[in-house]
Amino acid sequence: MSAALLMVGALAVCSGLIDLIEHGADSSTLLITGSGMGLLGALLFGRVAGPDKARPVDIIAATTLAMTLGILLVAGLYVMTGAAQRPDDALFEATTGITTTAMSVIDPTGLGYGLRFLRSGSQWLGGFAALLVGIVILPFFGFGREFADRSSSGGFRPLAPDEMSATRNILRLYIPGTGLIWGGYMLAGMSAFDGLLLAMSTVSTGGFTNGANEFADPSVQWVAIVGMLLAGSSMVTLWHLVVGRGGLHRQTGLAMYLGLHVTGVLLLVLLSTGIDLAAARRLLFVVAASVSTTGFPMGVPVGWPAGAPVLLLLLVSIGAMSGSAGGGLQIRQHRALMKLALREMARQLHPRAVLKVRLAGRVAGEDTLRQIVVLQFLFVAVIFSTAFLVAVFGLDLASAISAAVHATATAGPVRGLDGVMVDPTEWSRSVRLALLPAMVFGRLSIYPAVVAVAALLNLLRDKARVRRRYRAHRHGGSL
Amino acid sequence: MKRPAGRWETTTGQVTGIALLFVSAGMLGSAVIESIGGDQGLAMTLAALVTLVPGAALWLSTRPGQIDRAAVFSAVAGTWLIVSVFGALPYLFAGTFNRSGIGFPVVLADALFESVSGFSCTGSTVFGSHNLIADQGPGILMYRQFTQWIGGMGIVVLVVTVLPALRASGLGLIGAEAPGEGGDRLAPRMAQTARRFWYLYAGLTGLIAVALIAVGMSLFDAVAHAFTTASTGGFSTRDASIGYWDSVAVEMVIMIGLILGAANFTLHSRSLVARRPVHHHDPEFRGYIWLLTGATLVVTILLVDDGMGFTRSLRSAAFNVVTLGTSGGFGNATGPGSDGDFVRWAAGPQLILLILLMTGGCTGSTSGGVKVMRLIIGISHARRTLRGIRHPRAVLPVRHGTGVMAEPMVERIAGFMVVYGMLVVSGTLVVAALGTDLVTAMGGVVGSLGNMGPALNRAGPTASFVDGFSTPARMVLAFLMLVGRLELFPMLLMLVAPYRTLHDRVRSR
Repeated sequence: MSAALLMVGALAVCSGLIDLIEHGADSSTLLITGSGMGLLGALLFGRVAGPDKARPVDIIAATTLAMTLGILLVAGLYVMTGAAQRPDDALFEATTGITTTAMSVIDPTGLGYGLRFLRSGSQWLGGFAALLVGIVILPFFGFGREFADRSSSGGFRPLAPDEMSATRNILRLYIPGTGLIWGGYMLAGMSAFDGLLLAMSTVSTGGFTNGANEFADPSVQWVAIVGMLLAGSSMVTLWHLVVGRGGLHRQTGLAMYLGLHVTGVLLLVLLSTGIDLAAARRLLFVVAASVSTTGFPMGVPVGWPAGAPVLLLLLVSIGAMSGSAGGGLQIRQHRALMKLALREMARQLHPRAVLKVRLAGRVAGEDTLRQIVVLQFLFVAVIFSTAFLVAVFGLDLASAISAAVHATATAGPVRGLDGVMVDPTEWSRSVRLALLPAMVFGRLSIYPAVVAVAALLNLLRDKARVRRRYRAHRHGGSL
Repeated sequence: MKRPAGRWETTTGQVTGIALLFVSAGMLGSAVIESIGGDQGLAMTLAALVTLVPGAALWLSTRPGQIDRAAVFSAVAGTWLIVSVFGALPYLFAGTFNRSGIGFPVVLADALFESVSGFSCTGSTVFGSHNLIADQGPGILMYRQFTQWIGGMGIVVLVVTVLPALRASGLGLIGAEAPGEGGDRLAPRMAQTARRFWYLYAGLTGLIAVALIAVGMSLFDAVAHAFTTASTGGFSTRDASIGYWDSVAVEMVIMIGLILGAANFTLHSRSLVARRPVHHHDPEFRGYIWLLTGATLVVTILLVDDGMGFTRSLRSAAFNVVTLGTSGGFGNATGPGSDGDFVRWAAGPQLILLILLMTGGCTGSTSGGVKVMRLIIGISHARRTLRGIRHPRAVLPVRHGTGVMAEPMVERIAGFMVVYGMLVVSGTLVVAALGTDLVTAMGGVVGSLGNMGPALNRAGPTASFVDGFSTPARMVLAFLMLVGRLELFPMLLMLVAPYRTLHDRVRSR
């Protein structure tokens, strides 16, 4: 909780300072509230000591709580500054920001500098949180421990030898990465401030934009494409690149990630009509925005084929590489599922054979494989239950499925069957509220959110049990 | 009887040969009906003969032998493919799908689609406003119903009833074809077990036929619909399907028949032995009834909320939930836009129907889909895994009812669901790439893989698959029907068999 307070507080203070420099109207609200949050966070951090040895389940549940608190705090800031007219709009905007989903309901052109920074900054924080969940929280306390880059090989430092070093190393990549993309946008002709906002949304696979025509310039498009490719890449891959470990050509996950882009573009080019080079670049942009789950909006060529929405939905649900800020079920999980499917076919012929599944050069444990299967099961369950809810609240079937997939994969604005981006403000409030849990579940890779919900239900059940026993005791029964 | 010398020892050939003989017998019977009431009797007789000759040749020139698992799968998949191809002959010879403006390849594709849809008990059809069922002769219609009946319990199971020489291979063959996790033994010998299944099946069909006659159907329609109700197939002799009768009583009989057809036949057998129903003791059957009841209630509420009256909502919801939840695929819509035309419903109820298209009925039944038992075990497995995160050292078994599931079985079910999911996703992508919109493609693929029948959007209960899908897309769906009917693996393994052979040869060199 204190971490959430500190981070959102710091973000609010930074936003307030930027607003102050630009003589905005929201600076005082942002500064005062941000300082209050920061102080409260520092107080909690200093006063409240965690248990000597926290259970993994507590850490996982605490992650969910921290993200939920972060969302509420950012929503509070939107309400207090008047950026959102209604609390539910503020909650939707905050959720879509922190979860890097980018289904925005606020027109950014009407906001001051501070609030625009807060909006993109919330995505940047959300992207960082996603990296922590994917690289630190889940491998160390959940599942997939064998895939954490923990051991040094050939004298090269690993990304995640332990929890603290992993966090530091993530920041060592995340902050310069943001700077690099920022520089790219400025070189492409954007202003420093707009470039910074877009860089924060790119590196976090967030997808917020601050104007209708931000991607009109081809050079900005190219920077965004490279930025999205990098943001959807695994931090382990990038770390190996930075420390000069090499062997990237042997990384099947990376090959699959790049292959998805190439295949996606080729299929779209084959299916579409009237494609020239500019249209092909736009298609690459659309594919990169889908695979990395960034969701930056981009117009599509006129001859948009019937199969294209299905292809993009598939790309979005596959998502980015594991260990990146991108969403979706992620590539490692898909590779594991494909290998499991092949193993199952082999088992039909050789039922007693011992068949191991190798991923990233390592033998995947049966427990990990089991958890990946269940993750797929939960991913589909979240999509269907969300689609059902939004369908009941008035969306047509295709839009409901599309919205649910985009929300769960944290992939940003939904594209209609005709290829045109759908404005979330056209949806009813109940539809938007129904999408919120899917975004949180998706951003936390499902498991932490499910564990937190289960922990909450257990807590309520235990309390009810204690109350029942207490009542029975008062009425003369035995405990 | 002494076995003549010089026969090839191939179980695949023997099984396929006998299967073709059964199919040709069905064609001959239908040809007789067509000769009485239609004008394509000669064409159907010719089709029967063309099927009979290779069938007899295969039967007489081969003998069954001991076979390994790979051969079991190829025997089952091969039999289904060959039977489906020969099954298209009556439609081709009778010119059922000839219409102006299309060439022979499309006619052939339509005939194959209808044949595969029949044998796999899917019930998707290429009949429609361009080619009315009402214009067909009674023999063609009865043959169409017969294909579903023979496919319902399984062609290979039927063959095993007359092949006692198969011994252990019979269990493998039935296991490869049976819906669910292998076949239960009802008798010490597999041939006896297969025979008992067929007796039960025939008995159920008879009961449904009698009940349908009692509620006002003609003898022809009652027998025809009993065939496709017991098999949870869904073909009808009327263009409006069950909606033609617009009768609650007919719908009730069909619903009960479908539920019995989609229940595990082992339970029916045990009930007959115990002389009382034992279905309620089975956790899968209980879960299945709960699923249907719950879905009916939710759909009813949503339809009432959408402005349809309560009685009309309940009737439409109950019939469509049961018919899709059992993989039946009948329709009670009296026409486009009527109460039972579920593609005109709001998106919420349609999504429930889409989920039901996937779940299907019970294991060991005639229905398709994932099956309720796999779903229950899948949920139990997910709960176990989540609890495992909270209690990493706890030993948590997966339970089904009061029993504990063996880990290999749980893994097999998890693997099945992964493959199923992948087929749905890749199939949807391929069908959409062939020019179909998202919802129609997804509905078509899920419906075909689950052998359900109607899909959503442009391929709803009052529409033809010709309207919703291009010819190549229909071929993809036909393949998925066979994949789904054989519980995925036999067909998929048959596809990879040439690769495996090539790979083995390269390795041995």
